[in-house]
Amino acid sequence: MNQSSPFEVVVAGLGQTGPSPADGRSIAEMVLPAVQAALADADLGYDDIDAVVTASVDLFDGLTASNIAITEVVGAVMKPETRIAGDGLAAALHAACQIRAGAYEVVLVVAHAKPSMADFQDLSQWALDPIFLQPLGLDFLACAGLQASARAAADPEAPERWAETAARRLNAADGQKKPATAADVLDSPLVAAPLRAGMCAPLADGAVAVLLRAGGPGPRLAGLGHDLDVHLPGDRDPAAWPGLTRALARALKSAGLAASDRAFDLAEPSCLYAHEEELFIGATGLEPKTEISPGGGLFGGAVPVAAGLARLLAAAQRLRADPACRRALVQGSWGPAGQGQVVAIIKAGP
Amino acid sequence: MTEVAVIGSGQTDHGRKRDDVSQPELVRQAVALALADAAIEPERLDAVVISNMELFEGRALPELWLGEGAYAARKPCLKVATGGTSGTSSCIAGYHQVASGLFDVVLVVGFEKHSEGHTQTGMALTDPFWDRAVAAGALGNFALSISQYMAERGVTQEQAARVAVKARRNAARNPHAHLQMPDITVEEVLASKLLAHPVHLLDMCPQSDGAAAIVLAGGQTARRLCPRPAWIKAAETRHEQPFIGDIDRRLASMRTLREAARSTYAKAGIADPLRDLDVAEIYEPVSYAELAWYEALGFCADGEAGRLIDEGVTEMDGTLPVNPSGGVLSANPVGASGVIRVAEAAKQVLGRAGEHQVAGVETALATGYGVYAWADALVLGATP
Repeated sequence: MNQSSPFEVVVAGLGQTGPSPADGRSIAEMVLPAVQAALADADLGYDDIDAVVTASVDLFDGLTASNIAITEVVGAVMKPETRIAGDGLAAALHAACQIRAGAYEVVLVVAHAKPSMADFQDLSQWALDPIFLQPLGLDFLACAGLQASARAAADPEAPERWAETAARRLNAADGQKKPATAADVLDSPLVAAPLRAGMCAPLADGAVAVLLRAGGPGPRLAGLGHDLDVHLPGDRDPAAWPGLTRALARALKSAGLAASDRAFDLAEPSCLYAHEEELFIGATGLEPKTEISPGGGLFGGAVPVAAGLARLLAAAQRLRADPACRRALVQGSWGPAGQGQVVAIIKAGP
Repeated sequence: MTEVAVIGSGQTDHGRKRDDVSQPELVRQAVALALADAAIEPERLDAVVISNMELFEGRALPELWLGEGAYAARKPCLKVATGGTSGTSSCIAGYHQVASGLFDVVLVVGFEKHSEGHTQTGMALTDPFWDRAVAAGALGNFALSISQYMAERGVTQEQAARVAVKARRNAARNPHAHLQMPDITVEEVLASKLLAHPVHLLDMCPQSDGAAAIVLAGGQTARRLCPRPAWIKAAETRHEQPFIGDIDRRLASMRTLREAARSTYAKAGIADPLRDLDVAEIYEPVSYAELAWYEALGFCADGEAGRLIDEGVTEMDGTLPVNPSGGVLSANPVGASGVIRVAEAAKQVLGRAGEHQVAGVETALATGYGVYAWADALVLGATP
């Protein structure tokens, strides 16, 4: 990346469907309103879209090339569509590459999942090494539990802090309900020791659509970085996210920022489990002044695949609404115990 | 836009059942060959793009398990899956990543290990309400579209069989090809088992295990590392209606491939593809598709594809050799097949195609075909 020419792409339109515990519509019907909202938000129509990047995972949708289900509603008929089978934030970063390459000017990014259709944790077993991990019955939740367990072994007080984190996030995500307390979280069933049900973001159906374009008003997607760590949890430091540290370093470099720069007003991490907020802070070296997921983040409903893009949407909304918020750090993660990491740096428009 | 070139490629030996290797090992074989061909070490890679249709192996997010096999560990890694176009779309994704300036050297690797899954089951998982009962799998809906194409253009079963024979004869000079049938005849194709009229067994591609990789590099690096880089001059993708019944005459119109080709030709300065291209590696899952693609790609006018194969225009010694590698008809590891098309087109420009090298290739076309009518087109050349 040429540092004299920072990587800047405008976040021009935002839309989402859900998150909701179970969306009774078809995948296409669920995705359509998110796309329409993003187009309306950017004051653009389908004809203005040059290219589409979608994110979906076949096994989660029970469909082969599951983006077939949404080709029409995302406006990809007779257009270039790239389909990333991974986190939606990675799809957004690829769309930014297309714009920076000069290939297209307006790119629609859409991610969706409907975990209500099947047992997501059962399906997640099929993403694990079929020789050494899958026969053990491990799933993504169990891997998160192993990671939390490694941290709790060195820090017995940790689960109580995670309960507080979870309660704060749950309350921020839905102020209408009876406020949750740390005690409630600690009383909830143990699902993957030491993780309790209340420490896990509830899975939800939904779709997120983000329009990126090569200029104009709006927040800037200024830096981006990915990382895929080694697969076996035993080959990694179980109590850390070194891949996130590497992804952030790449994002800072691509934004033309110093490696030590932590001037973030807001962070929107993809914390599916309460202990991941500490992992996020540890891996990024984030300073206490940075506000983290004031809306509760994924604890308001975690849509697999779309989670990272939903964090981008939340950060961009905040940058638009709050002039004091100038720069945000957004994270997506996928795979067992955060094996895949993706980071975006969003800056307020000039 | 940064200039981008293919500076090396590698392929496994494709076959019915590669049970001598696991999926990560299969991927590693292709990647190691590509890195050796590009004369670089794995540390030189800035990012990796992986192509695979994971439901064919019954998996999800395969890059998690396979990443290390692709030297993607601790690197940026994206997984692309768009049916048959997965490989070409992955190559285009890598091209855009390098062209953006974000990365300098990107590895693209595609693989499929059909023998560890059930491809027909995977292909049957289409729309549960409208498509699954009537259009599941590749064969049935191809047979319908082919009948329509034949009726409209007057193409014969013999002409299609000639395409099948050409592919297998070419494959005999490609050590990586799955099917090795050097002495196959038109009569044998027509006498092979009828699968669904008019498609005979030998008209169809095989189901293969295999992997293929290419190394992409930005302009300066490509010039430094490679004496004659295969530059990507243009690349385009077009997707189509999700329901097969909504697609206008499919093979006969193939508007996606027509439009993707028209757009890439315009960007690459190709006015007359038959004259301006020196070789083409096109994604033909069935013999009849190659004939339809000749028309969509502008190698001839509509209705003249049969004449092209009859006159040997697309044979190795013809005006425009098509699929010197033997094509998809001779090896089809789906997630790899598009990467193979780009790798083979690049090898022709790099002058590294061995026994199936076409002399003096300056400009080469690679195409991808997927789902019902999705299309990719890339033009590669000896100059940027």
